[in-house]
Amino acid sequence: MSAIERRSILKAAGAALLVPLAPALAQAPAPRVITEAAADSPNAGAGHVTAFLRIGADGQVTFLSPVSELGQGTHTAHAMIVADELGVPLAAVRVEVGQPEPALRLQPVNEMYSGASFGIRFWHDRIRRACAQAREVIVAACAERLGVPAAELKAAEGRVTHAASGRSLGYGELVEAAARLPLPEQPRLKPVAERQVTGRATPRADIPAKTNGSAAYGHDIRLPGMVHAVAKLSPVFGAELDGFDRAAIAGMRGVIDVVPIRGGVAVVAETTWAAMEAAKRLPVRFKPTPEQELDSAEVSRRLRAGLDADQAIRGRNDGDMDAALGSAARVLEAVYDAPYLAHAPMETENATVRITGDKVEVWSSTQHQDWCVRDAARAAGVPPRNVTVHTPMVGGGFGRRLHVEVVEQATTVAKAVGRPVKLVWTREDEFAQGYWRPAFAARMRAAVDADGKLTGLYLRAAGQSVMGDYRPGLMAGPLRGNDPFSLQSVVDSPYRIGAFRAEWHRIQAAPKVWLWRSVGGSQMCFFLEGFLDEVAHATGQDPYGMRRELLTHNRRALNVLDTAAMRAGWGTALPPGRARGIAFTWLYDSLCAHVAEVSMEGSRVRVHKVTVALDCGDVVNPDTVEAQMQGSVIWALSSMNEAVTLKAGAAEQRNFDGYPVLRISGAPEVDLHVIRSGERLGGVGEPGVPPLAPAVCNAVFALTGQRIRSLPLSAHGLSV
Amino acid sequence: MVELTVNGAVRQVDADPDMPLLWALRDILGLTGTKYGCGIAQCGACTVHLDGAAVRACQTRIGDLAGRRVTTIEGLHPEGRHPVQLAWVSEQVPQCGFCQSGQIMAAAALLAENRSPTDADIDAAMEGHICRCGTYQRIRTAIRHAAAQG
Repeated sequence: MSAIERRSILKAAGAALLVPLAPALAQAPAPRVITEAAADSPNAGAGHVTAFLRIGADGQVTFLSPVSELGQGTHTAHAMIVADELGVPLAAVRVEVGQPEPALRLQPVNEMYSGASFGIRFWHDRIRRACAQAREVIVAACAERLGVPAAELKAAEGRVTHAASGRSLGYGELVEAAARLPLPEQPRLKPVAERQVTGRATPRADIPAKTNGSAAYGHDIRLPGMVHAVAKLSPVFGAELDGFDRAAIAGMRGVIDVVPIRGGVAVVAETTWAAMEAAKRLPVRFKPTPEQELDSAEVSRRLRAGLDADQAIRGRNDGDMDAALGSAARVLEAVYDAPYLAHAPMETENATVRITGDKVEVWSSTQHQDWCVRDAARAAGVPPRNVTVHTPMVGGGFGRRLHVEVVEQATTVAKAVGRPVKLVWTREDEFAQGYWRPAFAARMRAAVDADGKLTGLYLRAAGQSVMGDYRPGLMAGPLRGNDPFSLQSVVDSPYRIGAFRAEWHRIQAAPKVWLWRSVGGSQMCFFLEGFLDEVAHATGQDPYGMRRELLTHNRRALNVLDTAAMRAGWGTALPPGRARGIAFTWLYDSLCAHVAEVSMEGSRVRVHKVTVALDCGDVVNPDTVEAQMQGSVIWALSSMNEAVTLKAGAAEQRNFDGYPVLRISGAPEVDLHVIRSGERLGGVGEPGVPPLAPAVCNAVFALTGQRIRSLPLSAHGLSV
Repeated sequence: MVELTVNGAVRQVDADPDMPLLWALRDILGLTGTKYGCGIAQCGACTVHLDGAAVRACQTRIGDLAGRRVTTIEGLHPEGRHPVQLAWVSEQVPQCGFCQSGQIMAAAALLAENRSPTDADIDAAMEGHICRCGTYQRIRTAIRHAAAQG
């Protein structure tokens, strides 16, 4: 166990009683860890000191989650783990998002953020271990108090009970004494059979407030004396502010100020609407940039050039690719591409900032608390420790909110106007400012022998780097230019093909690109699974059977593929006009296969049903897993209609009228089969996304003979 | 000064009559359950009831509301226990939840005029509402559930 983890857990056990018992603790034999915790924890501000857990004298447990609640249900899952392992009723556990501190940071980047489907897969074991340690010192404290061996005690429902004497004490009565005991290095974690809370469908704690208007999102923060701000930002990427004509909005009702911010200006007013109206009328000029004429055709040219470029980063090179292609009886080749995509979360970017002296408070619907602190501190000119970040409910993340540029902007405005400010982006800014999924292209070649067997697969991808501009140190250093998201899910695909080479050529373009739900997996799976389907058809093999052949060495993968195929009735007759398509992926330690069943209604691809098999190791809240897989299917299906295109350096789509996200009539039935293999926990929020588009396109091919190698579907006169 | 009747109470709002109801609700009256999603009647997040019918608050001028009854998500039921709200909880519909005030108001308006909607009726009534988390399947189930509860 690391020193950091150990200290966190020590804090956890004893924290709540620090304040009321401070005089007594001064004379206590072992107050060392509590003093240390009090000294360095930003979570001490609330009066109780802890990294993960507070246990109050009333038995109330507060879990300080390292993860934002984006609607993915992580807070309820965390509460379930705590209730289970600590031995308290679920209703006694409250979840808050903590302030950034070492114990709440993801490794290896050492930042507090919610991404990469880490909410359970990274945190589950750490939370469980912390709770087991806390439980064991509470039991030890009880043993001391009652003068009985710890082995005779049972901890459950927030009480420690000595059955033989019928005596029991609540956790709240024991936590003070427990805090002074050394924590066990090897706590006994409850075996799966003893877990009573996790693994069972549990209603989410955040849902009732989301049905009556009381759930408070970043948009809903209201502070005394607060003013409203709306941004007016350059739609051309990278263009800096040249000037603006304040006189044009002079005298407009409710308008307070115009403040230059990074990327443009903010109009400050008494209401959001007054700020929006003034922003519309305010003439703002931006400086020229080298890419102000960039359009989608030019991006496509760069992508195609990247497919032919001499230089590329090689992410995978199994076997002898050149020999496989050289000796092949047939070589199949295809070029695929996928467009820029927006996240378009329903809640636009926003931040509320209050500066009081040299202290800064930030409220933001964010996925990245550490960057909120960093950017607010920088903009306000205070040390990071002077910044407190509050994480309200978040109206959709999908990766977009791992960037927090709005926090710097709001802080700049708050500093300028001397009042608390809520800065809300318009939907138009949300689309135009990017952090899109990068557009990508791939050329693939398959070597096939005289028996029709696939003996080699070559994939050359081209696209922008999502990491490159934002973690330049990591890219130049340990990664040596190899963005792990560029060939994500291809480099570690369990497919075993005699020769398998994958490489990536990085292109440069002005649009800001970043992590988008399932990241590189979204394009790579579309490319690879579409092309494998082509190989299967070209060699007279069943698409499911051929994938099976490539996975015979991997029991888990086979089970996932077989489960999806069997449950979907693969190979059985369908009504006329229907067909199935299959696709498989491996992402964030989960395995997922989809079988899509489609028909054509004119130019609309009607997806009737998606059969999903998922092996994510184990499950904390089955209902949440189902919701995430339903949502993943919708997200990915929607993406087949979506594209952001460029003209004159800017997005052509500025609102939902130009960006056709899927609506309810397009929602298919999702038949989910979760395999609890007991293997290492995998992600849930993202692995269901990548296989959907190729499964649908493969079904369309099976039905119509039309092979879809590029998205959006509108390029082929189709939609979903 | 503009007079509005919101959730049964008469409120005086000191604002331009052109101000959309959405912003009067959110920024002046503090009723933040009604959401801004697009501002152009494309997403449905700002849906409220006007004399019982679902309308987009982002497209409704406050100056046009004299004598009209506005109901927001906060006023749909005094304890938040309208059959649609109860169904939303029992079917565990929301994920991020940001669109759900609008979805619930649209579903409540649908059921007020059509007590047993078909799946096609449900899709038609809810087609104007975007959910990026992808809760559409559960929305359908919850509306059927609420309809069955009568």
